[in-house]
Amino acid sequence: MARTADEIKGAVKEFYGERAVKASSCCGPEDVNDYKEKLYLLDDIKGMPETVASFGCGNPTAIAGLKTSETVLDLGSGAGLDCFLSAKAVGETGRVIGLDMTDEMLALANKNRDELGAKNVEFRKGEMESMPIDDGTVDVIISNCVINLSPDKDAVFRESHRVLKAGGRFHVSDVLLSRELTEAETNDLSLWAGCASGALLEDDYLARMKAAGFAEARIDSRSKIGSKPWFSATISAFKSADEGSCCGPTCCSLGS
Amino acid sequence: MRKDLMDILACPMCKGELTLTIDEEKNDEVIRGGLFCAKCNERYPIDDSIPNLLPPDLRKQMSA
Repeated sequence: MARTADEIKGAVKEFYGERAVKASSCCGPEDVNDYKEKLYLLDDIKGMPETVASFGCGNPTAIAGLKTSETVLDLGSGAGLDCFLSAKAVGETGRVIGLDMTDEMLALANKNRDELGAKNVEFRKGEMESMPIDDGTVDVIISNCVINLSPDKDAVFRESHRVLKAGGRFHVSDVLLSRELTEAETNDLSLWAGCASGALLEDDYLARMKAAGFAEARIDSRSKIGSKPWFSATISAFKSADEGSCCGPTCCSLGS
Repeated sequence: MRKDLMDILACPMCKGELTLTIDEEKNDEVIRGGLFCAKCNERYPIDDSIPNLLPPDLRKQMSA
């Protein structure tokens, strides 16, 4: 029997709430800090408190090419590692917003922020299917192994497109499928919260992003996890530079 | 939540503006308060510096 969206959200929240307390990784049984060291450059994570664990499957900040003063939104910010790395990259004039729906993760992230003194980082409780963010205000969306958890990915992609500025970038790590899963695999909630059964096939993922309005969507890299029918990928998408701009070449010429 | 990061916040439902009320603050950080959407007539609470901007149905369900 298919799980409802509410059941899935409840299970994901419970699963990650526990993980904020006792650490384990989203895509494997490895120790979290070991895992973090496999994904990130050691210089980047040096000086981070032990509790800034990574529950992700990649390092989206490395590919995002962040610039000074940019506004970054992290979907499913967890303990905040990608937010803190992004905050360094965008500098004091930039800002980073971490969105998460798990109280335990948000509390941990806020504690880590205070410890690091990262003044340009903010954590908010919200869901990525209905983001509490104004239209056209974000330069870059990042996310690490989270979108596959959403029961309504079309809404996540629509909302991502809405909050991005014209020319905005979407650079995430996520889990994709190399084949359709069996019904038993799909309905296994622990699999779901462990990244697999909610994942989409690669072509489906990109088609949905384009349907949500992204001008371009592509897979930048793939990394297979053993012989499993899923793999971790880095995905990039772009909002058209003249979209939503009232001062584009066609719009202003229509004005009086 | 920092007051100067209000500008890009929006109601999760109608994406309209939110009005901040402060019950407790420390320096430029709002510790406890609320964010009110006049259009939806909905108050989103701020507790322990974290604004809870989950859609109202989900917020009620998750706090149940």
